[in-house]
Order: sequence, then structure tokens, then C-alpha cells
Amino acid sequence: MILNLKQNKRTVLSAVGTGILFSAAATALAAAPEQKEHHFEVKGRPTVVLQNIVDGRIEVKSSKSLEVVVISSSSPQKVAIDVEQVGDRIDISATGLVNSTQPHEVEANFTLTVPEQTELQLKTQTGLIYVEQVNGDMQLESVAGDVNLKEVSGYIIVKTTGGSLKCTQCTGKLDFASIGGGAQVLQSSLMKINLMTTTGNLLYDGEFVRTGIYTMKSTKGSVEVHFSPTDSLDVDARSLTGTVDNQAAEFLRPDAHGPHHSRNRGNSFFGTVGQGLAKVELSSYSGTIRILKRP
Amino acid sequence: MQCKDFEAVLEQEGLAPLPLAAKSHLAQCSACQNLFADLSVLVSAAQQLPAEMNPPQRLWVSLRAQMEREGLIKQPMAVAEEKAHWWQALTTLFKPRVLVTAGAALALAFAAFLTFHRSPMGVTNRSTPAPSVAQVPPPVQPNGVRPSSSGSPIPVPDPAPQAIASAKPRANPKPPAIQHFKPSPSDNVYASFPVALQDVEPNVNGPSLRGSVEADASLRENLRVINAVIAECRKHLKKYPNDTMAREYLASAYRQKAELVATILDSGRSEQ
Repeated sequence: MILNLKQNKRTVLSAVGTGILFSAAATALAAAPEQKEHHFEVKGRPTVVLQNIVDGRIEVKSSKSLEVVVISSSSPQKVAIDVEQVGDRIDISATGLVNSTQPHEVEANFTLTVPEQTELQLKTQTGLIYVEQVNGDMQLESVAGDVNLKEVSGYIIVKTTGGSLKCTQCTGKLDFASIGGGAQVLQSSLMKINLMTTTGNLLYDGEFVRTGIYTMKSTKGSVEVHFSPTDSLDVDARSLTGTVDNQAAEFLRPDAHGPHHSRNRGNSFFGTVGQGLAKVELSSYSGTIRILKRP
Repeated sequence: MQCKDFEAVLEQEGLAPLPLAAKSHLAQCSACQNLFADLSVLVSAAQQLPAEMNPPQRLWVSLRAQMEREGLIKQPMAVAEEKAHWWQALTTLFKPRVLVTAGAALALAFAAFLTFHRSPMGVTNRSTPAPSVAQVPPPVQPNGVRPSSSGSPIPVPDPAPQAIASAKPRANPKPPAIQHFKPSPSDNVYASFPVALQDVEPNVNGPSLRGSVEADASLRENLRVINAVIAECRKHLKKYPNDTMAREYLASAYRQKAELVATILDSGRSEQ
């Protein structure tokens, strides 16, 4: 009798254990991301359009071959991914099949490998957009995700709601607009930049190309520029209720162009480095504007 | 034919076919060529949009009433009774969200245009105190509050700066600084902004804006930030009505708000 009871107990425990294992395995299988890979041959300079309506990261790198490779990883049964080629245009879209109640519940991540000369239009909600070594015009949009660009060139347009931008070794033209996101432009050589944010901080530590135009405007955040004594630029800095912190006064000649001399007060400054060939406009409503010389 | 005549032809008769005089002017005028090209792109884009329900009639009534108040259009008449213009025919092509967003953006762009072209260049008189003038309260709800995006009522901002600039002083003569600023149709722009955006501001307290918890939180937070900036700029402009820099920031904030609202509405459209 006692032996029977023990055997029954073992049987029940084994059954329960097996059930738990099956359940865990089923859950793991269900949660495992679904991966797909697509290859598209292109002839010339392709355009890749990616509309990610759900959360997720987009990573773009370049290769020497004339091929676009799209690798997607998404939540199974929760995201629909469409990939289509029309000539040299690759259209990719990811849409949610269910409404998410938890972060990263409905997610699609993309890794793209594109030719070096490629135009990009990428859009996602959250998650990083990372682009490296791509030459071509690009429009990148995100709600809450950050945008990280490295060694890219072209006319670059970045729009975010709360995400920030980091642009390293970029060339060409850059437009950045955000409400909560800031922007850092480092080691870049851009002909024209226009950085606008409401609460984010802006930093430009790059080359000032002669005849370039550099506009940086943050309503509540700080604006900081670093220049070298060999640069040639006019700096027009204005903060409505904040301050202008000029930490390179010995290198900036005030009143180089006459009419601005009366403006050089605590929240307004106009100065020139070299011949004043590049035009730098810094503006803030209530933030601090810092002007520094590179060591 | 002058540019304004060409614009009148476009407004009344649409893009095609243009009268001979208009064609002749178009061939010579680059500005009108740009305008024509932009409109062509807009119409083309509109035609590609799938059909959907019309925007609410109250929006057209509101827009038309606002334009009449600002003297932008004349011959007030009931919207429903008048002969449909070409641009009204476009409404059937637009989705409501796109239309409402585009309307708000156009209103903001027009307001910004007027704002920056009405003041003499370089006039920044932050030290000029606000004149003692009659104050015209902006349109508000009967309970005296303007609903915020977060659902909680916020105090109505102080009277819009243009109201201060345009209102006649009761007793004191105008200070010299104010006399340089002739009241223009754009004087009501700032007062009309909140009303116009109220019409298009989505219900951000709904269960889901983008179908993403993190994105929703970001959108709500940034809408709150923009509303706070707008309130701050308006408060500053009440004190310094001639501050062009503050006007620029206010216009910029409204533009950002319009874009943010468009982002929210765009997501709603794509979820349909």
C-alpha cells in the first residue's frame, strides 16, 4: 500500500514536471523571434524605404557588392513584415498585428546591408537607428529612438520626437529637428547644418567649412560649439533669457562687422574668427550658449 | 497679369486648364512656377490618397469664419450653400486626419509668414514695457479654462500679444514703440492658434497613440513640453509684445506642435 502511494506520487510528480517542461518549451518557442533574410540585386544607386510602425532597432551597414540584404527579426504572430523590390527601390514595412501593452512586446528589428551609394528612408518608433558608411541622401525618423550616424555623407534629415542624434564623421548637409532630443555632431565636416530642438542640448565639435552655414537653436537646452583658432567664421549667439558663455573671448574679435557691436552683452554676442567666412548662428530661448576653443 | 492675379486664378479655377494670360504669366514668373509646381504636387499626392470619410463640417465652418475674421476672404456666406470651389472638391480626396493636419500646418505657416513680414527687420525692443491697453481675452471655454493635452485644465494664458498690440488704449496714448507696429490681419493669429489646434489636437489620453507603450509616453511627454513652451512664450510676449525673438520661438513651437499632432494622427491612420 505504502509502495503504491509512493509510486503514484512519483508518477504525478513526473507528469507535472513534464508538463512544466513542455509549457516552458512552448513559451520559449512562442517568444523566440522569427528571423527572415532577403537578398535583392540592384543595378545602380538603390533607395531603401523602411517603415517600421512598431518598436525596433534598424541597423544599416554598407558593402562593396550591388546587393541589398534585409535581415528581420520580429515577434512571431504579432508583426507582419512585407519586403518588396521595385527596380532599385526596396520597400520594407513592419506593422503590428496586436496592440502592445508591454515595452518591446511588439517588436521588429532590422539589419540592412546596402551598397555604399544608397539612399535611405527609415522610420521607426523606438529603438536605435544606426547607419554606418553609407553615402547618399537619407531621411531618418523616430519617435523615441536615438539616431546614431557614423561616416555617412549626403543630405541627412533626422526627425525625432524624443530621440537624440549622434553624428560622427559626417559630411554633406544635416537637418535635425526634435522636441525632446539633443544632437551631438562630432569630427564632422558639414557644409550646412540646421539643428533645432525644444529641450535637448546641442553640441557641434567639427570643422567649419568656409562658406558653410551652421544654425543651432534650442528653446530650453544648451547650445555648445567648439572651434579651432584656424577656423574662419562669424558667430552670432543670442539667448533670450539665458546667457552666452564665451570661453574663447581672446580668439573671437567682437564687432567685426559694425552693426553688431551694441549686442555684445550677457545674453548676446557677435564675434569673428579669422576672416569670418562661415556663418554660425546660435540661439536659445532660456538655455545657455557656450563658445569654446578646441585645445 | 501680376502674381496676385495669377493666385486669384488658381484659387478660383484650379490648376487646369489655365487661361492664356495665366499661362503667359506662368512662363515668365519663377515664383508662380514654384507655386504652381507645389500645388500640382499637392493635388497629385491628394489624388493618391484612398478615399475616406469627410472631415467634420464644423471644421470648415470654423476655418472659414477665422479667415473671414482676418479679412483673408470676403463675401461671407453659408459654407453649405455656396458653389463648391476647386479646393473644396479636394476635400473628398483627403483623409480627415491628413486634411486637418495640413490645415493646421497651413494656418501656422501663413501665420508665421505674416508674423515675420509685418515687423521691421531688426526691431527688438525687449525693454519696452507692455502698454496699458484694453485686453481682449482669447476664446475660451465657458468655464474659463483651456483644456490641456493631458486632460487637466490649465489656466488660460494671458491675452495674446497681438490683442494687446491691436487693441486701442483707453486712456493713455500709445507709446512711441507701439506706433511703429500697424495692426495687421496677423494680429489675431496668436489668439486663433490655440483654437485651431484644439480642433486638431488628438485625444492623447486614449488607450494607445502609436501602439507602442514607449512611443506613447514620449509623445505625451513632448506634447506637454510644447504646450508649456507655448504658454511661456505667450506670457513673455504679453510683457514684451515687440520681441521678435520670442515671436520666432512661439511660431516655432506652434509649428512643432502641429508636426507632433500630425505624427500622432498619422499613426492612427496607419492603424486603420
